[in-house]
Amino acid sequence: MRYETVIGLEVHCELATDSKIFCSCSAHSYGAEPNTHVCPACCGMPGMLPIVNKRVVDYGMKAGLMLNCHINRVTTFDKKSYYYPDLPSAYQTTQWFAPVAVNGLVEIETSEGKKGIRIKQIHMEEDAGKLVHDIREDTTHVDFNRTSVPLIEIVSQPDLSSAEEVEAYLERLKALLRYARVAECEMAHGTMRCDVNLSVRPEGSDKLGVRTEMKNMNSIEAIKRAIEYETARHIDAIENGTEVLVQETRRWDDIKGKSYAMRSKETAGDYRYFPDPNVMPVVIDDEWFDSIQASLPEFPEVKREKYTTELGLSDYDAEQIAKSIALCECFEDAYSVCGNAKDAANWMISEVMSNLNARQMTYDMLTLDGKALGELISLVSGNKVGRANAKKILNAMFDDAAVVPSKYAEENGFIISNDTGLMDKVIKTMVEADPKAVADYKGGKEKAIMAIYGKCMKELRGNCDPQMLRTKLIEYINSL
Amino acid sequence: MDKDTLRRLELLNQLSLTEEQKSEMYSFFDRRENDLSELSSIDTENTERMVHVLPILTVVREDKIVQNFDRESLQAGAPETDEGYWCVPRVVE
Amino acid sequence: MEFYFEKVNTSLDKKIVADDMLLTKGIPTTAGSRMLDGYVSLFEAEVLTRLTNAGYGLCGKASVGELAIDLLGETSYKGACVDENGKILNPVAEIIKSGDAMAGICLDANGYVRRAAAQYGLVSVKPTYGTVSRFGMIPVACSGDCVSVMAESASACRDILDAMAGHDDKDGTSLPESKCALLKKSAPVVEIKRVAVITDMLCCDDTVNSAVNSLVAKLEADGIKVDRIENDLIKKSRNAWNILMSAELCNNVSRYDGVKYGYRSNNFTSIDELYTNSRTEAFGDFLKAAILFGSDTLSTENYMRVYDKALRVRRLICEEFGKLFKEYDAVLMPACSAMAYSIDAVRANKDMPYTENLYTAPASITGLPAVAFEGVQLICNYFNETSLLALCEKLEKEGK
Repeated sequence: MRYETVIGLEVHCELATDSKIFCSCSAHSYGAEPNTHVCPACCGMPGMLPIVNKRVVDYGMKAGLMLNCHINRVTTFDKKSYYYPDLPSAYQTTQWFAPVAVNGLVEIETSEGKKGIRIKQIHMEEDAGKLVHDIREDTTHVDFNRTSVPLIEIVSQPDLSSAEEVEAYLERLKALLRYARVAECEMAHGTMRCDVNLSVRPEGSDKLGVRTEMKNMNSIEAIKRAIEYETARHIDAIENGTEVLVQETRRWDDIKGKSYAMRSKETAGDYRYFPDPNVMPVVIDDEWFDSIQASLPEFPEVKREKYTTELGLSDYDAEQIAKSIALCECFEDAYSVCGNAKDAANWMISEVMSNLNARQMTYDMLTLDGKALGELISLVSGNKVGRANAKKILNAMFDDAAVVPSKYAEENGFIISNDTGLMDKVIKTMVEADPKAVADYKGGKEKAIMAIYGKCMKELRGNCDPQMLRTKLIEYINSL
Repeated sequence: MDKDTLRRLELLNQLSLTEEQKSEMYSFFDRRENDLSELSSIDTENTERMVHVLPILTVVREDKIVQNFDRESLQAGAPETDEGYWCVPRVVE
Repeated sequence: MEFYFEKVNTSLDKKIVADDMLLTKGIPTTAGSRMLDGYVSLFEAEVLTRLTNAGYGLCGKASVGELAIDLLGETSYKGACVDENGKILNPVAEIIKSGDAMAGICLDANGYVRRAAAQYGLVSVKPTYGTVSRFGMIPVACSGDCVSVMAESASACRDILDAMAGHDDKDGTSLPESKCALLKKSAPVVEIKRVAVITDMLCCDDTVNSAVNSLVAKLEADGIKVDRIENDLIKKSRNAWNILMSAELCNNVSRYDGVKYGYRSNNFTSIDELYTNSRTEAFGDFLKAAILFGSDTLSTENYMRVYDKALRVRRLICEEFGKLFKEYDAVLMPACSAMAYSIDAVRANKDMPYTENLYTAPASITGLPAVAFEGVQLICNYFNETSLLALCEKLEKEGK
């Protein structure tokens, strides 16, 4: 018999805000000293009251709109109760009754073609703290830095049917949320986490099989492995009766390549949700809604299409730039100033990206002023600054956002003077210093001239029009 | 209220009642059920629930970091800490 | 008899006492629970900051019943305050009576403040929900918790209300300044002309009934029209309030688990034992019952039938009061069923906080302002408490 796998995902993404969702502690918990980003509220002490971080709602809305959701214009917070050491108040404030966004649709593309994945809802909530198990054998150490860091949970309908689709879906979520600049979505940093709900049924059947939930996958590769393992386990159980499938939560062990049932407590299951009396409903008025809508970026594929058809970029260049909204914005700003899309794209792909790589920065971390880059490109194309010097200026712009290319060029003597007297003098000196190259050139080796050209350029500190230098050099040698 | 439900309530709330307390809880819950029956005669079908007695207004704050409390004072009253962490018996997952 | 939980030296001459539900910096706040024995907050209640700025000095903290949900303080882990005849005493009221403090600042969650004021012939005011910051209060039932004032006179209550009320950005349910300003002394006062006595609420002993009759006579002598009316719904407030209060309480005390601060059992080998034994050893019987009941109201099976029902009844009760306030400026009812209680009677009745709050639950569940005066309780519409206190001031002057 042939089987099909039915998969629904619960994806948690940490929102890229500065402060936490309900208190003003720093939300940048990654790599911080334990319990240094905490206050009485987020370590469970009584008396402080939750005040909602506006940017969390902004980002919740943005995420919803990017995933084609309906936005609930009155959205409320609710409390979910359970005991675990990473939850200092023994309740998590989340959204149960009126989540910020519902009924969305995400389009994915796999080798099988395009497919729409329905989104049930997106809700905003607070993260839990971190437990450390490897300091002492008998003790678990508790760190509340991550407590109350804002999350969105994106709940899909069970519309996915393979590991390949899951990968495409997660990549799509990551691309869209990064484009909207609401979340980093980096599984390796824990800023994107994914629980997989999976069941198996005979192909064509409309009845769902027993569903298990898997947790603790730390990479997309692990998720794919877990799905393949779990699918095989379910089919084996159905076909061979190797075990009886039960609805349960399982933990993925990526080293062993197996899933294990998590210890189920008698208490599991009743979270006793109720509306939080301390948080008033958040009412999203038209002005707020419109401002969020207006701030949404174009989708990556729209950017790519625009870059190739309207701006004449190659598919490769368009693809490279569309990888990050930060690259897109920088490129578009640069183009708006310099007026040459191909030049701007070349600068982005060669110089800007290599600067980012050298600084170990991701594309999304680019903060370079695109308009200033456009000015720099214009200086080069207008023969005002040599290319080598322009690279130095770009480097300075990366180091200091206040650097203005034209001003910096002037202050550092990078402006091409085209002083023909000086050029003639330098050419004469360099030609006389290398009679062999001159002889080679005259003997037909055209490339031999490049060595002298390079020395001249160096002597002139790059401040001359390369074409003029070349012409003058050839003229001079030919006149000998 | 039955034995299993009461046990479940104890577990959910991390409480452990003595036998005497348990037997009192059954009558206590019976009286609460009586209280509830007085409400069931009230027709609430067309009434919205009321969580907040105030008129609806949105309260949000700007996304700004304010770090006012240091770890040492936050952990001053802690039963057990180690290397800046709060400590609990090992949790096995 | 020691009524203080903690004494403080203050140089300020307008001395106030706080109940042990207000967080204080530097001195312990226990909420009357062994769980918080020795707990010292890192910040203080917003009301205390405001009162200090207005020249009031904290002279000490008074014991409360565990989490302030009982009505007589009998569940405090320090034990009830009882005189030689077995009569239960209220620490805040005793401290005011002794002259140590001119007023008490307390958390009114289930009404203990109003009934203590009534029993002692003091004046108390529970202001409109949202006009006084709850920042720095030990949370009990957040949808109804109100910082309240108890004092010798209505004018002292008005002075303190004037200093306490105001918008606070640190409380997400705090009303805008324009609304809070209605509680200031400078706000215009409306004359109280018509008062309703709800006869369904007069199920109390002779001492209380005579207090009701005596105040009604005074009001009538002052030209106020007093109507005796029946109302079947308002007396059911407690049934709904017990549900909401217990569920919120259950959630609010879940944070006390022996991990971060407070009481930790010595007897555990696992995390669940740590939680269970710490909570079981530190919490008193009534709190445990309230936690279990509150938890049960929120269970998947019961939520719609019980909790959601109570939320809907709350709206009906608010609407019912709204109708009454179209005709009347205030509603008069007792604050308690008797003026004195013996410790033995209280011990025998395990349900007292759930039954005796018949009188106090209506203002708690609606967030309406309530004044205890001359042994009875007056409830008025939102933001009218200054008018009510002005009337009490007038009656006080006439009485002298």
